[in-house]
Amino acid sequence: MEVWRLGAADVAAGIRSREFSAEEYIQQLLERIERVEPKVNAFVTVQGKEALEKARLVDRRVKDGEQVGPLAGVAVSIKDNICVKGIKTTCASKMLENYLPPYDATVVRRLNEAGAILIGKANLDEFAMGSTTEFSRDGPTRNPWDIGRVPGGSSGGSAASVAALECAVSLGSDTGGSVRCPASFCSVVGLKPTYGLVSRYGLVSYANSLEQIGPVGRTVSDVASVMNAIAGYDESDNTTAPGKPSYSMNGKSGGLRVGLVKEFVQGADPQVEKITQGAANMLADQGCRCEEVSLPSVEFALASYYTIATAEASSNLARYDNVRYGFDMSPEGYEWNSYFAKVRSNFGDEVKRRIIVGSYVLSSGYYGKYYLKAQQVRSLLRKELKSLFKTHDVLVGPTMPILPFKIGEKVDDPLKMYLVDVDTVVANLAGVPAISVPAGFADGLPVGLQVMADQFEEQKMLNAASLFESAAGVQRSPEL
Amino acid sequence: METRIGLEIHCQLTGVGTKLFCSCKCDYRGKEPNSNVCPTCSGLPGTLPLLNRKAVEFAGMISLALGCRIPDEIAFYRKNYFYPDLPKNFQLTQYNAYGVTSIGVDGRLSYGDSKSAGIRRVQLEEDPGRLVYETGSMETSSYALVDYNRAGVPLVEVVTEPDFDDPKDVRLFLDKIASIIEHLGVCDTKLEGSVRCDANVSVGGGSRVEIKNVSSFADVEKALRYEITRQRTMTSRDMQVRSETRHWDDARKLTKESRTKEEEQDYRYFPDPDVPTVVLGGDFVALTRASMPELPDARKERFVTRFGLSGHVAQVLIDNKELADFFESALKTYESPIEIANWIVTDLMGFIDERQKEERSLLLGIKVGPEHIAELARMVDRGMINRSTAKQILGQIVQSGEMPSQAAKKMRASIIDDENELLKVIDSVFKSEKAAVTDAKRNPNAANFLLGKVMQATKGLADPKAALELLQKRLKEAS
Amino acid sequence: MAVTRDQVRHLAWLSRIELTDAELDRYTGQIEEIIKYLDTLDTVPLLQEQEPITTRKKFSDLRDDTPAEFDSESLGTTYRKDGFVKGPRMT
Repeated sequence: MEVWRLGAADVAAGIRSREFSAEEYIQQLLERIERVEPKVNAFVTVQGKEALEKARLVDRRVKDGEQVGPLAGVAVSIKDNICVKGIKTTCASKMLENYLPPYDATVVRRLNEAGAILIGKANLDEFAMGSTTEFSRDGPTRNPWDIGRVPGGSSGGSAASVAALECAVSLGSDTGGSVRCPASFCSVVGLKPTYGLVSRYGLVSYANSLEQIGPVGRTVSDVASVMNAIAGYDESDNTTAPGKPSYSMNGKSGGLRVGLVKEFVQGADPQVEKITQGAANMLADQGCRCEEVSLPSVEFALASYYTIATAEASSNLARYDNVRYGFDMSPEGYEWNSYFAKVRSNFGDEVKRRIIVGSYVLSSGYYGKYYLKAQQVRSLLRKELKSLFKTHDVLVGPTMPILPFKIGEKVDDPLKMYLVDVDTVVANLAGVPAISVPAGFADGLPVGLQVMADQFEEQKMLNAASLFESAAGVQRSPEL
Repeated sequence: METRIGLEIHCQLTGVGTKLFCSCKCDYRGKEPNSNVCPTCSGLPGTLPLLNRKAVEFAGMISLALGCRIPDEIAFYRKNYFYPDLPKNFQLTQYNAYGVTSIGVDGRLSYGDSKSAGIRRVQLEEDPGRLVYETGSMETSSYALVDYNRAGVPLVEVVTEPDFDDPKDVRLFLDKIASIIEHLGVCDTKLEGSVRCDANVSVGGGSRVEIKNVSSFADVEKALRYEITRQRTMTSRDMQVRSETRHWDDARKLTKESRTKEEEQDYRYFPDPDVPTVVLGGDFVALTRASMPELPDARKERFVTRFGLSGHVAQVLIDNKELADFFESALKTYESPIEIANWIVTDLMGFIDERQKEERSLLLGIKVGPEHIAELARMVDRGMINRSTAKQILGQIVQSGEMPSQAAKKMRASIIDDENELLKVIDSVFKSEKAAVTDAKRNPNAANFLLGKVMQATKGLADPKAALELLQKRLKEAS
Repeated sequence: MAVTRDQVRHLAWLSRIELTDAELDRYTGQIEEIIKYLDTLDTVPLLQEQEPITTRKKFSDLRDDTPAEFDSESLGTTYRKDGFVKGPRMT
């Protein structure tokens, strides 16, 4: 029985009912990983032995009639910028080459409690800075639908591992679209929660006023079940909101008021636009009221994002001076300024560029011109969104304005690369939730539909996403 | 020439239990290096700061004690710079050039003789770790040794307006600040390095020089005197005083150019996204004020009105909380406030050396406690001993720690009242003071001089009454 | 806003990142392009009343002052001496 193909819900059910064993499931996945990794390169680290041990443990407990968590036995990959105790967490960087966190991220702890099994750490753009997973020290991850193309980023490994059937679900991080972009490019579901819904304790910070950890899965239902395991107040993260939400898939979905954001549609390639329009029509056919809406401040969104993100990054990455942890380079013989500067020359190009841009926008005299203005844009966006959400339940548009492009195509042109984030950064800037759902294919390449809802309205968003998912019927897996 | 001095005082909140942003113990002194750390205060990737509520409460008390206004909300910013003792290579602080986010602003503190100084702001920030050098000197060590035990310990920074023009006033002001924080219980000023003060000084409207690395409040006065003289001398020779940061060299007692290029720093302040804006709430001020311990000024007022102490004596007591506590504790045993206060302020203080006074550890090594002074006062009041004997007894018991009654007993035991012994001494004195003896025969009052000589010869142990009687007898016999 | 090679060199120093000449050459043009794009923020209309985006927390919800020890080793470096972390020299 090919259990490695199953989604999270079916795996959990199957293991609980002893239809198959967790050990068999993990074993099959490990074989699958061995087969496809040379093509996909989704993993930085594979935890084969440990995963099998955990699987045996799950099987034993099920056999003994013990209580097991809702995700017991489900294989999960975790982006390599999320700390797992005792396992290398490298952020795809030389700077953390040898780094073993002495603690688990809260989301990891919660997944463990739910019974999920970590099968490996997923590849990413270095320190989560990028949109294609090409800026990784471990080589680029490739799009399982066309291995000459990018899988999106920065959580490319997360999306690719799920799309390539190397695991059932994954945890990525989304600062400007880093979960939704690869989800769209790999034809899987990726969710960015409301800012403050999921704990960031253990997420290596890139831009901490913008980012959230988010799940990736092959169905909206799987993504929702991961959310149920990880979301909710954490006393270790003072930016988390009180309460513990619980999402169901039985939500009322009739009569949703949907707004199609015209600025997103206008900026998209014709093929993408066509599929997006088709998606809107499908929703209308399902009884939703669809109309075009405008979000004027989208015009400033990218400039605002890249100001705030680089500013915060320049400060968040200052701690990497190799004195307390990092990679092996003896400090002896160096004066401290030279040591720091030499050590930090080991960041990749994109990271170095962003740190420098970030220092620039924060430097004395420029704070008002860039940073404050960028914050103003966030307030503007939030104001406009709040107003739209008064009359609409969800807002939709394409997740990405273009189809997945060839590896190497934009890697030497940073600004061109930044422009692909135009549809996704809005949700991070305003702190609202957004999800990407597979919407179709153009020239055999995936297109995703993005659904946004108001802060803490994940249930509404999941309802709409689920409704669309059923109607679109896009589910399929790549040939690898 | 017009002198302007402003102060930046840093006070460790030794009174809280944990660091400012993590649950490591705040008490780091004397611990093995890097044994009082956790992922958060070590700056590990993925860690997040968790603001300590008690530290905010204490900072609020300090703000109120200094007459500051407390805003509705407070926030933290990042001061970005690189240094090996800074785990994140930024410091979390409330300083913000763009608006008010500190816990206290626009205060005023009166001190000395109807003087006062403006308080620009009171803010919370974290202490960095410590750098140590094997060879003892930064210059000669081939590597630095870093200890992060102190990293993250809460500091309250108090910045004054440049309202001082005399180092003496600065000293008085700092003493008052020290007394206030002692009375609030937020900081133990006796611990080394728990209070530090940097100063800014300019002379004749010239460039402002910042003096750092002054290790104690007492040294601030010295450093200021030196620096003012340096600037005045330069100005009088038409030399340009540079706006810079200078370090106080405690060994050589002078300020010298700082080695770190502090003018190059662009701290790129921006609001920290991980520490939320804290909403203090409408009743924060009222609740804080209500739970605040008695402040020194209020305590002085109480000493004067309730116990009838003079303003001066009360001031000496409250200048150092230890003394004021000692006083009130003694009162519990024996209620004679004026007597006890004088014993403390006049006599006990005489046994404490200047150095200890400077370090504010007045009672360190002194073996007498409030019960001793209370008993001493009682014995004098009841005429059991005279004042000069009491002073002698005090001199002994500060070393021995005996109760005064015990010491007195011992003293009585060694008092010479044996006739033969005394006569021996008296005769010896008569031999060497022939002129005085002649005087005394004519003038009985002159006998006191001879008595004094007898007391001297017996090192004060002669019973004065008995000695005088014998002396007068001898004089009569001799005539 | 023009961005010069010297500016990039200074910012790299401020960020303690050593750049090769080749990197300086390559990055300067790219960074200038990026900053020019960020300059579009100049055209953002000013909001009369701005609600800044921030997390808020009540004073009473802040962390209790209860000590807790971290049970394992926080520091990963192997360069140690008598418990201290060995760092580069200061001068």
